[in-house]
Amino acid sequence: MDRGGPAGARRHVLLLPEYLKDASKKMKSGLMFVKLVNPCSGEGTIYLFDLCLQQLFEIKVFKEKHHSWFIDQSVQSGGLLHFATPMDPLFLLLHYLRKADKEGKFQPLDQVVLDDTFPNCILLLRLPDLEKLLQHVTEEKNPEVDKKKYYKYSKEKTIKWLGKKVQQTVSALKTNNVNVSARVQATAFFSGDPFSSDKEEDYVCYAHGLISDYIPKELSDDLAKYLKLPEPSVPLPSPPSKLDLLTGHFVVAAQRQKRGK
Amino acid sequence: MESSEEAAVEKCRVHLRPGTLRDAARATLHLLPCEVLVNRPAPVDRFFTPAIRQGPDGLEVSFRGRKLRGEEVVVPPGLVGYVMAMEEQGEVSMEKDFSEGDEREEQERAEPREALERDFDQFIGAIASFSRFTLWGLETIPGPDAKVRGALTWPSLAAAIHAQVPED
Repeated sequence: MDRGGPAGARRHVLLLPEYLKDASKKMKSGLMFVKLVNPCSGEGTIYLFDLCLQQLFEIKVFKEKHHSWFIDQSVQSGGLLHFATPMDPLFLLLHYLRKADKEGKFQPLDQVVLDDTFPNCILLLRLPDLEKLLQHVTEEKNPEVDKKKYYKYSKEKTIKWLGKKVQQTVSALKTNNVNVSARVQATAFFSGDPFSSDKEEDYVCYAHGLISDYIPKELSDDLAKYLKLPEPSVPLPSPPSKLDLLTGHFVVAAQRQKRGK
Repeated sequence: MESSEEAAVEKCRVHLRPGTLRDAARATLHLLPCEVLVNRPAPVDRFFTPAIRQGPDGLEVSFRGRKLRGEEVVVPPGLVGYVMAMEEQGEVSMEKDFSEGDEREEQERAEPREALERDFDQFIGAIASFSRFTLWGLETIPGPDAKVRGALTWPSLAAAIHAQVPED
C-alpha cells in the first residue's frame, strides 16, 4: 500500500446517475456510503443511500489487470471504474426476512431488519413503499391490537417474484443486444431460426445468473428449478455475468489506508 | 484489535457532500493499458497530451516508448462521471468551525445533524467531473469486445434487474 502523503491521495472514479446532481440542489446532506450485507455472499459490501430521494444504489467496480488513470495532472493506479446504479431494496430485505423465518412466526419489520455486524441496515427501514414491496415476498398479518404490520417470509411468492425479475431482465438483454452465448451469436444470423427456443433458453440462463448475484445459492437453485433450466452436468462457468464487475469495496479501501497512516 | 477496527468501519458512514456534485470542474481522463504503481501528481500536459496525434484509425501517442492507440469513450446516457476524494479528518473540522459555519448552522436547524452524522463518520467529495474519457490500448484500439466497453452496458442492465415487477 502506498503511503505517499497528500500527494498519494487516492482518487475514486465513479459514474453516478445524472439526477443525483439535480436532486442535490435541494439537500445539504443525506447522500452516504454505508456497508451493508451482500444478500448473495453474506459479506459486507458498500452501498450508496440517498435519503433525499429515498433510494438505494449498489456500487460495482470495473477492474481489469494492467490499467491506470491519468486524471488531469495526476496518475492513479489500478484503473478502477465504479458504477452506482439503483438497487431494488427487496433483495436486501429478503436476506433479513429469510433469516427471521427460522423463528417461523410473523414479526414486525423493525424486529426483522436487525444486524449487529451491519448496524446501518436500519437505514433500509427509511425507504418508501416498503409495505408494497414486501407483498411480493411475504405473507402479512395486520392485528387490530396495534398499528404495526407483521410479516413472514413466503418462499412461493419469492420464487414467483424472482421469475418476473428474470423475465424483465431477459427483455433488457435482448434490447441491449448482449451476447448471452456463442450459440446466440450463431443463430442470430438466421432469422426465423427453427431452434429459436434454444436461444430463449440461453437468455433465461444468463438472466438467472445475473439475478443469482443478489440471492443466496439455495434460492438460486430453487429458481433454476422453477424456470425449468437444465441442470448443468458440469458447473457453468460461474454465473455468466460477463461484464467483469465486482461488488464494490470502494470507500472502505480508503478508510483502511487512512487508518494505516 | 483487528475486530474493533473492523467494527468501526461497519458502523461508519461516508457522507458524500451533495454540493460538490454541482461544483465539480471538468477533468480530462485517460485510461491507460498499463499499471503505474503510484498515485501522485504527474506532468501529463507536458509529456503525454502534446504527443497525442490523430492517426488514420484513431488517436496515437506513446508512453514509456510503447505505442498506444485510443479513442474517446462517452459516459453512458443518464450518467455523469466524477472523481472523488476522501476529506482529511482535520479538513472536516476546519470546515465545521470556519468556512461553512453559517451554512452548517442553517442545516442543523433544518435537520438535526445527529440524525445522520456521527463523530466517527467520514466525508467524501467530488473534486472533478467528466462526460467522456480516452480509452487507450497497446498498439491497437481496444475493440468492441474490450471488457471496459462491456462494463459500460451495466447501468442499462442493472435498471432492468432492479425495476419493480408489476403486481399480479
